[in-house]
Formats: sequence, C-alpha cells, structure tokens
Amino acid sequence: MTSASIKLESVTKSFDGKVVAVDGVTLEIKAGEFFSLLGPSGCGKTTSLRMIAGFESPDSGRVHVGGQDITDVPVHHRDMGMVFQSYALFPHRTVAENVAFGLRMRGVSRSEIDRRVAAALAQVALTGFEHRRPAQLSGGQQQRVALARAIVIEPRVLLCDEPLGALDRKLRQQMQFELKELQQRLGVTLVFVTHDQEEALAMSDRIAVMNRGKVEQVGSPTEIYERPRTRFVADFIGEINLLDDGSKPRALRPEKIRLVPTAQARLAGTVETANFLGGATLYRVSAGGRTYLARETHSGERSPRAAGDAVGLAWNDTDIVTLES
Amino acid sequence: MSAAVNKKPFDLGRTAYLGLNLVLLAFLLVPIAIVLVFALNPTPYISFPPVGVSLRWFVKFFEGGDFMRALWLSLWVAACVLVLSVVIGGACALALARGNLPGRAFLTAFFMSPLMLPAILTGLALFQAYLLAGIGRPVWGLIMAHTLVAVPYVLRTTLAVLHNFDRRIEEAASVLGASPTRVFFEVTLPLIRPGVFAGGVFAFIVSFDQFPVSLFLVVPKGETLPVVLFNYMKFDLDGAIAAASMVSILLALAVVVALERLIGLKAYVKL
Repeated sequence: MTSASIKLESVTKSFDGKVVAVDGVTLEIKAGEFFSLLGPSGCGKTTSLRMIAGFESPDSGRVHVGGQDITDVPVHHRDMGMVFQSYALFPHRTVAENVAFGLRMRGVSRSEIDRRVAAALAQVALTGFEHRRPAQLSGGQQQRVALARAIVIEPRVLLCDEPLGALDRKLRQQMQFELKELQQRLGVTLVFVTHDQEEALAMSDRIAVMNRGKVEQVGSPTEIYERPRTRFVADFIGEINLLDDGSKPRALRPEKIRLVPTAQARLAGTVETANFLGGATLYRVSAGGRTYLARETHSGERSPRAAGDAVGLAWNDTDIVTLES
Repeated sequence: MSAAVNKKPFDLGRTAYLGLNLVLLAFLLVPIAIVLVFALNPTPYISFPPVGVSLRWFVKFFEGGDFMRALWLSLWVAACVLVLSVVIGGACALALARGNLPGRAFLTAFFMSPLMLPAILTGLALFQAYLLAGIGRPVWGLIMAHTLVAVPYVLRTTLAVLHNFDRRIEEAASVLGASPTRVFFEVTLPLIRPGVFAGGVFAFIVSFDQFPVSLFLVVPKGETLPVVLFNYMKFDLDGAIAAASMVSILLALAVVVALERLIGLKAYVKL
C-alpha cells in the first residue's frame, strides 16, 4: 500500500459567512504517519478533516496530497479511506457488500473483489460475517466493517473522524491497539480526529492541538505533554499547575511535584482532597494562598495522606515549562 | 394453568386500554362487516336482518358494463397517479429536505395545501380552470387532478424518512468513489424507497376512492367507479352498491399487500 503525505496550506473555512471554523491552518503530515487532530468540539478539527476528504472546500488556501494540489478534485476522485463516528455503513447491504462497495465503484472484477473483500475482513478479524447486515452486528463489529470498507480500496490516506467515540471504554482501548497495529502493518497515512487527549497521546506519531480554528502546537505526544507551548495546550492535555507569578505564565505537571516532609519543602501546605486513582493518588494541596495538584505514584511503603494532613511541596525548576503569553 | 391466570390481580388500566382498543377496532371494522352483509343479502333492497346468502349482487356488478368500465378507468387512473405522485412527491421531498431553497417552509406548506382545501373546492376550481384553458375534461386532466391531491401524501412520508437519514452514509459512498449519480441510485434511493412507496400506497387509495374532485372532471360514459356508484345510488339502492364497495375494499387491500410483499413497508413502519 502506497501512502501519501498531506499538506494544508493556510486553509481557511467559514460557514454562513460568519463563523470561522478553520482559520489559516498550515499542516504537514508525513507519508505513513499516524497524525491526530486534537481539540475541544468546535475547534475546527473535523472541518479540517472534511476539507482533506473533500466534503468541504476551503474559502482560501490549498490542500495537497502526495505532492499534488487536490483542492479542486471532487470527493469521489480523491482515493481516500474514511471512517466515521456513526460508522455510516450501508444498512441495506450485507457486510461483504459494504466492503465491496469501493472496489465495485472502481470497476474491479468480480473474482478480484471477492478475494480482496475476504482479505480485508480477515485484517479486521471479521471472517465469517460476510452475509450479516450491519444491524445484526455489535458496535465494535460495525466499526471493524467500516475500517475494512475503508482499507480495502488501498487508500493513500485513511481519515478517521472520532471513530472510537461511540464505543465503551474497554472496547475503545482494545480498538486503539488494533487500529494502531493495523496502521503500522499497512503503512498508511492516518489522520485521526479526536477530542480525547489520552487517545491521541496513546496512538499518534504526532499531534496537532487545535483551538478556535487555529493550530496551537504540533509535536510528538511527549513534546506536547512535556513541553506544551501555550496555556491552552498545557491545560487541555492532562492536569497542570499554572503558575502566574512572573511576567510569563509557567506550567508544572502534577507528577513533577513531590510531597515531602515540611522541613525539606519549598512550600508548606495542607491536603485538601486526595483522589485515589488506583496506581496513583492525585492530591489537591493548598499552599501559599493557592491550590496545587500533585500526583504521587504509589510505591507501597508510604500510606496515602488524608485531607487535613500537613505536607511540603518540592519540585525541580527544570521541570517548569514557560508558556507563550 | 387457568387458575394461575385467574389469580392475576385485576388491572384496571390494562383492561381499560384493551377495551378502548376494541371499541376503536369495532368502529373501524363494523361498517365493513355491514357492507359485506348487505352485499351477500339477496333481497332487492337494503334491509336488515339478512334473509340469506347470495352472490347475485356481485354477479350484477361484474356483468354491468358501466360498473366494469368505471372500475377499469379507476384502476388505470389510480395506477398513473401512483407513478406520477411517487416521482413528483419524491423529487419534491428531496429538493425540500436537501436543497438550499429559499422559503422552504413556505414551499412545503404550498405543496401540502391540497390537503387543507376541501376536495370539492379543488374539483370545482380545476373544472373552471380546465374550462378557461379550453382543455375540456380528458382522462389525463383527471389524472393530473388526482395527482395534485395525492402528492402531499408521498411528500409527507418521504420527508419523514429523509428527516431521519444519516447523510454520512452518502458521504461514505462518495469517498469510496461513487459519483453523485451513483450515490443517489446506490444509497439514497434504496434507503428512502420504503417511505416513497408508503406514500404511493396512500396516493393509489386516494385516487381510487376519489369522489369530490372526480365529480367535476368526468364526462358521461367516462366516470370513475365512485362517481358511477353515486349516480347508481340516486336511483337504485340495492346490494350491487355493497358488492362494488366490497370489490373496492379488496382491491385496495390487494395493492397494500402486494406493495408490502414487493418493497417491504415494514421497514418504513420501523423508522
């Protein structure tokens, strides 16, 4: 399967001439990359994806795939795979007919279709479900059919619009592994839209964090998490302590704060609440007139602190990230 | 076992619910039963209680040249109306639900308006319009008039299906390489078909049963069945009328059953 790079060049899109959904977005997605568009609802991530797919055309800016300008190429000539949150399976067709659809549109021969449909269903572990109807499948199975239908045409690019959003937590996690594994096996460029930061961190090679139609930061999951560039990114990804004591806002992750005896502490404070998370405990500690979040991984030796306990806070200055104001 | 059933506490709500439904069903079905009794009663006038069972009125109906000519005309007109209103109403619903038309609410109300007007006014108005236009009263004029009244039924059922339509399904088809035309025939049409044809059944029945509009637009010796029955009743009130009614009811039923078998209206009912 040949994969293609994607380039968005100062792409802007507004709806009804007033709401700017995507505002001058420039992105370069490498061939074979698992790339996530992450942000809250209304940040422009889905509109960006829909412009890559061709469902929306940008007001200005260009879209390139594999080095070619495809801004004016209609959807059905773009050769992409797409998976929708609602699965969007054809309810009047069987699983096999759903998967065969893209091949049929391409005029592939009957025998070739049968062979490739069987192979695609095997890829998503749905062999034996050929003659079922979508309504007879579970949510996870429907999602797999949608995936098989998208990859069977061997697209250069696979677009996923919150594909796991409708699944329950356990199944979602399993599908995350499967999707990532499938993407690596096929080597396809995958653009993944999600509002779930954990999902983006877990699966992506790189992430673009979007807010109000603009890209706030692009980087690997580690970069995004460890070195957030803006206040929005720091706040949107995981928990964060925002320290507004200087000229520029600074941020410190809860796990970088150590709970120590008050004698060795930078700050002395009192535990407000302790949230047991299983492998760790998240504390809210009031100290120096404000509240700090501190996460402590359980080592097994120390018993967790309770609300009202006096604790000291300590951290290394190198762990503090200075944000753009 | 019956003891166990008897032990069940008396549920007033449920009994009242069942009772109400029985009354409603009776209200709908008893007139049909009465028509059947009259159709089978051999006395030369409509009377109760019946004195026997005979098919003489059915024979009279099927041997009456006027009846038969009217029956075939009505069937022919209804079939044309079915096809026309399905095409027009379906296309209309698609345009209203999908198109970016200005004044959509107004247009919807406009196309539904034949339902608000008393049919007798529609008939009278069309009669005068045809007269002014010098058209006269050809069969196609009658078909057009019936179609006008039938289109809202198709429009309404199709709009209902389109309202619940997940457009991502069409997008999925187009991203898989289907041109807009293919998307329509491969995805849109098969998915809205139950709604369109449910409307088509109504359209057929509305036309087949149509009296007030037809009254103004038929010519002597070219009347539809309801008009012939009405004229017949003015002079004779015998079992032939009841027999004709039974035939009408059975024909309408046959159309519904045939469409259900062919297209599966059940799928529509589920939506």
